[in-house]
Amino acid sequence: MDIELSNDDLSFEAEVREFLAGNAYKDGEDPNKWRMDWFEKARGKGGWDVPKWPAKFGGPGWTPNQHYIWQKETARSSTPWDMPFGLSMLGPVLMAHGSEEQQERFLPDIRARKVNWCQGYSEPGAGSDLASLKTKAVLSEDGSHYVVNGTKIWTTMAHIADWIFCLTRTSDAGIKQEGITFLLFPMKQEGIEVKPIITLGGSHSVNTVFFTDIKVPVENRVGAEGKGWTYAKGLLEHERTGIAGISNSIVALEGLKDKASSVKRGNGSLMDVPSFKAKVAALEIDLMAVEYTELRSLATASAGTAPGPESSILKLKGTDIQQRIQKLTMEAGGQFSAAWGGTNAGPDFARAGMGGYMGSRVYTIYGGASEVQKDIVTKKVLGIKSSKK
Amino acid sequence: MNFDLSEEQQLVSDSIERFVLNNYDLESRVTIVQQSPGFSLDHWKTMSELGWLGLPFSEDDGGFGGDQLDTMVLMEQFGKGLVLEPFLASIVLGGGVLKRVASEAQRKAWLEVVIDGSKQLALAYAEPESGYEPHNVAVAGNKTNDGYTLTGTKCMVLHGKTADAFVVSFRTSGGVVDQSGISLALIPADRDGLTVQGFPTVDGLQSSELTFNQVSITADDLLGEIDNGFGALNEVINDGILAVAAEALGAMEILYKDTVAYTQAREQFDHPLSDFQVLQHRMVEMFMEYEQCKSLLFRATMEVAAGGDDAQRCVHALKHLIGKAAFFVGENAVQTHGGMGVTEELRVGHYFKRLLVIEAQFGNTDYHLDQFSA
Repeated sequence: MDIELSNDDLSFEAEVREFLAGNAYKDGEDPNKWRMDWFEKARGKGGWDVPKWPAKFGGPGWTPNQHYIWQKETARSSTPWDMPFGLSMLGPVLMAHGSEEQQERFLPDIRARKVNWCQGYSEPGAGSDLASLKTKAVLSEDGSHYVVNGTKIWTTMAHIADWIFCLTRTSDAGIKQEGITFLLFPMKQEGIEVKPIITLGGSHSVNTVFFTDIKVPVENRVGAEGKGWTYAKGLLEHERTGIAGISNSIVALEGLKDKASSVKRGNGSLMDVPSFKAKVAALEIDLMAVEYTELRSLATASAGTAPGPESSILKLKGTDIQQRIQKLTMEAGGQFSAAWGGTNAGPDFARAGMGGYMGSRVYTIYGGASEVQKDIVTKKVLGIKSSKK
Repeated sequence: MNFDLSEEQQLVSDSIERFVLNNYDLESRVTIVQQSPGFSLDHWKTMSELGWLGLPFSEDDGGFGGDQLDTMVLMEQFGKGLVLEPFLASIVLGGGVLKRVASEAQRKAWLEVVIDGSKQLALAYAEPESGYEPHNVAVAGNKTNDGYTLTGTKCMVLHGKTADAFVVSFRTSGGVVDQSGISLALIPADRDGLTVQGFPTVDGLQSSELTFNQVSITADDLLGEIDNGFGALNEVINDGILAVAAEALGAMEILYKDTVAYTQAREQFDHPLSDFQVLQHRMVEMFMEYEQCKSLLFRATMEVAAGGDDAQRCVHALKHLIGKAAFFVGENAVQTHGGMGVTEELRVGHYFKRLLVIEAQFGNTDYHLDQFSA
């Protein structure tokens, strides 16, 4: 057991810091140009634009320690916005299960941030129980294409996406996990309707998407027909690790302490109020532990094992911590957190404090609700098999 | 021992329940929220015509002689529909101060028009640095020949933008956190030097910030005795806590019942969600929190109405428990509704937002625990 960073790690850390500091956004810069340049320069460092991609596909092939360092440092720096759908979700599926032709066709544009992808998974009747999805894909008689009909929901960024990777049902025979097929098709075409869903706090990022007779050529099918569930499951485990957001939480906790210290209470600040201080401390302790749970998981991954059921723990703990940070931030803002624009009263950070908190409620719902994560741990980790039918 | 409503209270309760059912479905509420002034003048008129606005005023003042229990009955029903009209601001808070300390002339000038709904009051006591302490008053009255001038800021003034006059707390002696030395005045909204900036809150209601720039007040504007305003202010804030607690109770009833109904209708894994024990037990806990809140609401309201020795302690206990339950019931209602729970399309999210605002109003959950244990 050894957690010391080696000399190589330390010089890598210095290199990362230098890169991030040297390429931070400067006031007045064209944000879009800065973003594209940033990725270009990161690419020049040897695949830093696609940190999680394997070396074979142009990634940096980092050790777990290097990943950890990268995560920690980027959480504290100004880095360009990025969407995970193509890069972290579809990318790994194509690398593992796509044909060489599909890899050549799609991966370069994902890497160049040229094509925005969205994820067609959940349906109105298939949320936590994703495998019960019903969006139908029927193979044409000549076997040249599928015809897709159905509805997807909670599709993040569907309104700006160029393409979708979509789970469809090609067969009703057998158990419901079978007969699911993984298809790729463009979003900007006739027969696709995108309807916004407004979430609490009034923002729009998720949508309902309706498909009517969408023709998808068979060459846009990833892997074998009926095997989509297997590919999707691996992908969900990636997603769950990603949304634990631990490095970001460490930075956000520091921010919370700063904010609470700026709120006057009596002769001191809110951070001197015992009940508030105790909640922040309890949060910090949980975060210290989960940081190492993630490191342990990274170490397993470095041994060549794919992220497994322990990623469920990370999602459960990571999202709980994110929510508690938002809740305490709202609490620190006091009654001013209720203001919805149009006032300068109270501390600056308080405004939209309730918005941040409400926005955080979805963390324990998306990417597999906490209840479903716990079922996974029950079965896969504790090995409990239900005898109930 | 008797926890039943009186015949009159039951009639009022039924009539408000019908009003809410007929007028406050989600779609109607959203329409009202989106239009100026953020509540319905028609509903406000109806409330006055049905006598609800006169409920907590004495018959001498033109009211119906009700007490905190009558307000509780009304607010609980309001909570089931997230009613937007300024009953709390104008009747419970602004009117609450007037009925306690206003002079004969002030009563004559204001109470009739407040009760008939043609004028509105608002209470301005919180300040940027006052935390949750109502006795923490920095806005100072500077003595002039015939009164005072006020300079400073009052914030989170509920329904300030539509108020015709403000009940304002200000300091006439003592240190910033002293309970003595606080005075009250009734200041018309159009008084020189007073600016009102309105803004919405996340629950769809309207709040405001008041800026006083050398605002003159005369002896006629003063409410009650100089330096002795805290007692009435504190009583009114207690009334406010009882009122929002009753409203929160109504909102929590909707949340736990909607959750029970949703889990029975929504199928996943070939079962209604209500088949899953983890959700069953969670809903039982939501129900228990609701019932506990109801018990403490009754206890605190009766204690305050009877002027009991334990009244203040009961109010602290109530606001703490309501806040704790609001988080528990609200978060779990949203979680159990899944993705739909975090949208504006279902009403659970809207009820949850109102509970969040109530939690932070008049002192939050932790604040009242500290006060209770102090």
